[in-house]
Amino acid sequence: MKKFIALLLSAVMMVSLAACASSAPAPAASEEAPAEEAASEEEAPAEEASAEEAAEASGDEITLDVIICQYGPNTNEWFLGSGMDGTNFVDKFESENPGVKLNLEVVSWNDVYTVVDTRIANNNAPDILNIDVFANYANDGLLMPVSEYCPEDLYNDFFPSFIEQSVIDDTVWAVPDLASARAMFYNVDMLEEVGVEVPTTWAELEDVSQAIIDYYDGEVYPWGIDMTTDEGQAAFAYYTWGNGGGFVDENGDWAVNTPENVEGIEFALGLIEKGFTNPNPATETRYDLQDMFAAGKMAMLIAPNQLPTYVADKGGDINMATAAIPANEGKTGSSVGVMDRVMAFKDDSAPDQEARNEAIGKFLKFFYDPENYVGWVSMEGFLPAVNSAVEALVASDPSFEAWLDVLASCKFYPAAKAEWDQVKQGVIAAEQEALTGADIQAELDKLQEELTQ
Amino acid sequence: MNRTKWEPYVWLLPSIILVAVFVIFPILIVFRLSFSEISKSGVIGGFIGFQNYVDAINLPAFTTVMKNTFWWVVSVVGLSTVIGFIIALVLNQAFPGRKIARSILILPWATSLVIQASVWNYIIKYEYGNLNNILLNLGIISRAINWRSSYQIEFVWECFVGIFVTIPFVTFCVLSGLQSIDPSLYEAATVDGAGFWSKLKNVTLPLVKPSLTVSTVLNIIYVFNSFPIVYTMTKGAPANKTDTMITYLYMLSFYERKKGPATALSVIGFLILCVCASVYMIGVMRNEEAA
Repeated sequence: MKKFIALLLSAVMMVSLAACASSAPAPAASEEAPAEEAASEEEAPAEEASAEEAAEASGDEITLDVIICQYGPNTNEWFLGSGMDGTNFVDKFESENPGVKLNLEVVSWNDVYTVVDTRIANNNAPDILNIDVFANYANDGLLMPVSEYCPEDLYNDFFPSFIEQSVIDDTVWAVPDLASARAMFYNVDMLEEVGVEVPTTWAELEDVSQAIIDYYDGEVYPWGIDMTTDEGQAAFAYYTWGNGGGFVDENGDWAVNTPENVEGIEFALGLIEKGFTNPNPATETRYDLQDMFAAGKMAMLIAPNQLPTYVADKGGDINMATAAIPANEGKTGSSVGVMDRVMAFKDDSAPDQEARNEAIGKFLKFFYDPENYVGWVSMEGFLPAVNSAVEALVASDPSFEAWLDVLASCKFYPAAKAEWDQVKQGVIAAEQEALTGADIQAELDKLQEELTQ
Repeated sequence: MNRTKWEPYVWLLPSIILVAVFVIFPILIVFRLSFSEISKSGVIGGFIGFQNYVDAINLPAFTTVMKNTFWWVVSVVGLSTVIGFIIALVLNQAFPGRKIARSILILPWATSLVIQASVWNYIIKYEYGNLNNILLNLGIISRAINWRSSYQIEFVWECFVGIFVTIPFVTFCVLSGLQSIDPSLYEAATVDGAGFWSKLKNVTLPLVKPSLTVSTVLNIIYVFNSFPIVYTMTKGAPANKTDTMITYLYMLSFYERKKGPATALSVIGFLILCVCASVYMIGVMRNEEAA
């Protein structure tokens, strides 16, 4: 009897193992089915192809693998739960687009690079991906040009300045899904209590910071700086753009070690050294700073347009206002725009390329339809990427209008350049080295040398 | 008769398949990848020999990370073994509430490492940390102290949390060894006039040595491979100065997108652990032979 039970258990184990092994490659196998084999339903042995695969192969139905990044607690509900007026994106899309199925996955920002890279390494890239970067995928020949799948009327609806951010060699490789803009937020009551004006230049920022330190006896941080591995590149942008520098020169070539950049970062390091900022900028992320601001422990910081929602969610009651990011004397500061993208991967093994492209186009049309898109953008507190959504968004929340003006004038990271990952991590490492006493000029020189090698 | 020859292998087969699919196969893939060119987005190219290893060793942070890994393993395993041993000796004594004390001790071990590290992050936070609050309320300090004022101190905190969560494992390993010691040995030693230290040196230590060896070697492997504490507390910042090998290779692969050197580093780490495990196996086998 014991032997029988043991045999039964091991049989169950073997079956479950076999199930594990077969469930993973199944989508890849169906995607990679050669067109000739898949075209004829009769030729395909019944036991080898499920009904769904057969339908897909015969062109009746296309399944798109979609990866969406998790922007907030509502993302999952909206796409897969019941956050879209009782239904969800996938169900609504599938009911309105018969013949196209979505295998949609919402992945957290922490994991998305790992998930996508692992899938690419296993020849199982998603059909549609929502993420921030795109240059590596385009340079590896993995992406399809937008012109192959994006309907023309939709393409013309995108803000042209956004589309320009996804161009390599005159080809558009991705479309923007949404954006956020950064500006300076300040605690109105605090500045009034201390009796100072909102700073517009670096010198004024230092004076105001000193006044806040004196007034609150060091109990309030005047200014917030995040030089963490998560967002240190944003700090680099704030202080170099505010001093006439930046990541690239006027020809679009990398220029990270210019005197303007060094002066900009030295100014930021000076603020930290003088005790005007949060104490540990290498490990305190922008969320930590936003928490401090929400708790009334920080007077001013540079933050995205969603800060009021964030503070309210945290139970904070701060009388806040926005202003332009302070710049060096005689220089013009610029707001920092952050934009994410939607892109489509090639799948040479798809039986009917035209039908696949059309299905991807349907997905985009549905996503950017104001009826769906406005709800999505306003739910997550972002700024839109298409003209058709502006009117409805401004009608629902008039504060959007001011942010749209900010967005129109802001600069973006040079994410279309292939070395962007290296530069992003490089400037963060340089800042963090400088925080531990290294010379910022030498660190940026090293990075520039690596880039021009 | 024949049946008895193959029967054990049939029973072993499920385990062999599991180990092959989930352990050996991935290891072989990583070995292959470490000799391949890998693009930033993960596309695997052709064979490039030892180039990934050369690139890994030439990385600016390599030396710092190796040093950190050494100190991380030595301090966490060493101190948790000493402290765990002492606690096990205490818990082996009969005293009221011993069972409760043993149950409490297991808590740090039973809690997820990410939660542990996050909780300690809050405890030592400058602005609203519990440690500062307690010390301020007790009047021990008059102003909040920045407990993370330099990267060296941050690394010490990481090691501290590592030690804190490792102690229970050592304690329970040693405790199981202590409980298997025949009390008559202590009685005989007492009759012979042995004091506390003499009994510890000549009776306790030799008899709990096998338990200590097991816990030490397993801890070396666990601690070397431990990712959550360092990643949750500092993410290796500033500039990889608080990274250990495991967190560094993750950052290298998924933040810096240098996937080739990252796989080479993971193979180097695997080989280091193989050496440690082999030393343990040889030691155990020698002990068995001697016994």
